[in-house]
Amino acid sequence: MHPKHWFYTLPLRLRSLFRRDHVEHELSEELQFHLEQKTQEYLASGLTLDEARRKAQREFGGIELSKENCRDTRRVSYLQDLMQDLRFGVRMLRKSPGFTFIAVLTLALGIGANTAIFSMVNSFLLKPLPVKDPEQITVLAFQLKKGPLQNNFSIPELEDLQAQTTSVFSDVIGDLYGAGGLTVNGKTEPIYVYFVTGNYFIGLDVKPYLGRFILPSEGSPTALSPVVVLGYNYWKTRFAGDPSVVGKTVAFDGHPVTVIGVTPKEFHGLYSMADMQGYMPLNIEQVDSAYDRTTPVNRELRSVFVYARLLPGVSINAAQSALDVIASRFAAQNPKSEEGMTLAVYPERFSRPNPDPDKTILKIATLFLILAGLVLILACVNVANFLLVRATARQREMAIRSALGGTRGRLIRQLLTESIVLALCGGIGGVFLGLAGSSALSSIRLQTTLPVLIDFQFDWRVFGYALSVALLTGLIVGTVPALRASGRNMIEVIREGGRSMSGGRSRLRSALVVIQVGGSLMLLIVAGLMVRSLSYAQRSDLGFDPRNVLNLSLDPNGIGYDKEKGLRFYKELLERIDNLPGVESSSAAFTVPFGYFNDNDFLEVPGYEVPQGTTVPSAGFNMVSPGYFRTLHIPLLEGRDFTNADQEDTQWVAIINEAMAKRFWPNGSALGHEFRIAGDRVHSLRVVGVVKNSKSVSMMGLVREYFYVPFAQQYTSMATVQVRTTFPPETLVTSIREQVTATAPTMPISEVRPMLQALYTVNGLLLFQFAAGLTGCLGLLGLILAIVGVFGVISFTVSQRTQEIGIRMAMGAGQGSILKMILRQGILIVFAGLAVGVLLALGMASLVEDFVTGISPYDPLTYISVSTMLVLVALFACYVPARRATRVDPMIALRYE
Amino acid sequence: MSRPSDLVQGTLDLLLLKILALEPMNGYAVSLRLKQVSGEVLQVSDGSLYPALHKLEQEGWITAEWKPTENNRRAKFYSLTRLGKKQLEKESANWSRLSDAISNIVKLKEA
Repeated sequence: MHPKHWFYTLPLRLRSLFRRDHVEHELSEELQFHLEQKTQEYLASGLTLDEARRKAQREFGGIELSKENCRDTRRVSYLQDLMQDLRFGVRMLRKSPGFTFIAVLTLALGIGANTAIFSMVNSFLLKPLPVKDPEQITVLAFQLKKGPLQNNFSIPELEDLQAQTTSVFSDVIGDLYGAGGLTVNGKTEPIYVYFVTGNYFIGLDVKPYLGRFILPSEGSPTALSPVVVLGYNYWKTRFAGDPSVVGKTVAFDGHPVTVIGVTPKEFHGLYSMADMQGYMPLNIEQVDSAYDRTTPVNRELRSVFVYARLLPGVSINAAQSALDVIASRFAAQNPKSEEGMTLAVYPERFSRPNPDPDKTILKIATLFLILAGLVLILACVNVANFLLVRATARQREMAIRSALGGTRGRLIRQLLTESIVLALCGGIGGVFLGLAGSSALSSIRLQTTLPVLIDFQFDWRVFGYALSVALLTGLIVGTVPALRASGRNMIEVIREGGRSMSGGRSRLRSALVVIQVGGSLMLLIVAGLMVRSLSYAQRSDLGFDPRNVLNLSLDPNGIGYDKEKGLRFYKELLERIDNLPGVESSSAAFTVPFGYFNDNDFLEVPGYEVPQGTTVPSAGFNMVSPGYFRTLHIPLLEGRDFTNADQEDTQWVAIINEAMAKRFWPNGSALGHEFRIAGDRVHSLRVVGVVKNSKSVSMMGLVREYFYVPFAQQYTSMATVQVRTTFPPETLVTSIREQVTATAPTMPISEVRPMLQALYTVNGLLLFQFAAGLTGCLGLLGLILAIVGVFGVISFTVSQRTQEIGIRMAMGAGQGSILKMILRQGILIVFAGLAVGVLLALGMASLVEDFVTGISPYDPLTYISVSTMLVLVALFACYVPARRATRVDPMIALRYE
Repeated sequence: MSRPSDLVQGTLDLLLLKILALEPMNGYAVSLRLKQVSGEVLQVSDGSLYPALHKLEQEGWITAEWKPTENNRRAKFYSLTRLGKKQLEKESANWSRLSDAISNIVKLKEA
């Protein structure tokens, strides 16, 4: 309808709908007026009152017919019918509360599972950044000679990018992650901050909640501006939301800084999984004692994440072309650091948590949405089956309705309204279940004190999704039964008395149950693979022994300790801990296996020829104290451990793993050889030991090249003390804490946890556990739905065939043959479902492959054991109603009607 | 809806719009005017007049208002809306085209 029309017609429609009596009254009055005028007219022409009145009426024709025709013009009959259907639908559903409850619950489970998973996908892939024009924000990344994709640039690279991309980006901003201690009124607590470029907040166009943000003049890498902006949640917890905090001086790592502002509540920084606690100018990092003075000019010290805002109207492809030119310029101008560099730009939304050309998050999202969608389909099939049964039972009602003049379309509409009402109730239940599921999903523990942000909150997208899923579900489950119920010849139905059942209907229902069995088998196979993969990962040899180890994270820099004081602190603390009863040994290290801090750098290995077509060699590394290998039970194969004699001013040394020894010095011993870390022009590291490979970065794949350097030579303030105990490690927490306080009274301890627990990180076992748990839940749901389906269809068959069974038994059929007859149908369904399920699972294998370790996605053991279990359970579900069939008393069955 | 069979579909709408374009009037007055202007040629029963008027109202072409008549009876008076004026122009043009075409055909002489 033309929009201008509304102006005139909408009030009329509303009046017709909601002031129906009024409108009716007006109609009568109008016609009455006409009749009266007519009567007057005839009176004037000489007729008697009676004659005049009669003539007027005769001339008018049928008054009621005319009224009805007037009503027909009101165009609201659809709506009135809908209201009537809704009322009737609700009444029908209330009349059979058992059916309604089961159907709504089934749909709620299906919709809930989908909603919960969608809320997760929403948070990772759909929710825009809370900044102005978030679609303009992009993430920059690079590769060197087709090596791994990295998104940490050096400061000189960032500055070059800022200067050279003004034709495509309005702002190029950078942030550098940092941890430290924030001292307020003498008390120090850890704080996680971003050191940001001065244009950070202006580029993002975020407005402060309180005070002001960092200015472009404050972010330069050389001039010191001691200011800090607090994250909203940190301000709420640490400062109790006190607005007078703006202007206050606090200490960051022992250096005075002024609080200048607070971020708005919804802004958490650009890393999608963290809720950043503070923001400081990039230069402030220099106050850190461990700060490398060459950072502002060293092109190879790469630690700044770079984001850029596209100029209005510039496409991401245009930006990519501009970056291609810049990358080749970079490579030409700085061959030493940027040879073979390619730059890439990704939309921020598809780069969470990190830019990833493999689209891992998208794959995970797809996998889980498919699985959840399947659960919903299974739920739909069940409800459609229930409705089919009801449709059969309601054939008489439908026949009578159509005999009374209900058109087929009208009956279909009524039945669909009922199923949609059902689905909407399911949708409401689903949203509640989804909320519960989503909060269970977001309560996942990442085993870190990092301010993790897992925000699966429901927003309009999630509610919109749930609503559309519910409506769609209503249409799907309602259509087939509605078409069937309304399509039959009414005379036939009334004559039959609703007793008979045609074969076609039963075939349809059986086919639906085959799909259910197949779908649930696929869910179970995927779950089985995930569970097997988790248990493989849990039992796999990590190369170190995680049992009986306690981890304790510290950062002496947070209370202003410099390198010398920090080293002394760690040495004294480790000695104290070693002397505790129940302690075998202790050590300190920057990286905990599978933890969130990993160092990785390019290497220069004299004498090693980089094979053609491969990238510059690189390796992960860790700074460790003497005794590290003893504590973690990593066998030393050759050479020596670090000692307290390895100091900053002695020869820098390294202990390498087998993989590294094999790659760079395949012939003979690696001991005594030297190599360099690309960012460090001064020191050459001499190999003094070789240790066995141990996993520390990823559960998947082979162990890569890795080396260890002495803590004293490459000091990091932030470190984790690891203690090998002979008692259960939890029992030593108190005494170890006491030793920390005894060594340095104000030292904050950021986290304490056993190593076994610390394995459950995103890099470690967490994702396996998560995948196994989630697919397990979906599989279980699917199984329950399939069992209900099988049970339902067999029970229905039995009840429909009661009379037939009675006759058969009266004619002398034994219980065994009746049982066989009923079971045959069940067995056919189950085995057809089995075939469907195995095919579906094989189809999913390529998607599943990326998420399992240690087993093939075609693992025959999983396929066979899960299928066997499903067959047994499903056959049992057939057996129960089949058994009931054999108990039929022929006399009762024959009378049964 | 019952319509006078000898009225071309849509023609009644055109007549009513035209009559109401002259001045706002109530249903009874419309029926008188119809008879008056068309003589007895166009027979529109009173019973089908009202549904036709209500249809025009629901389309938004005419709007109704309850007003007192000359002898102070409350009656529903219809008048043309802006949309109705446009519709009238359109239908008049259509009608002219159609009637021209038909009269041209009717006037054709056998060769």
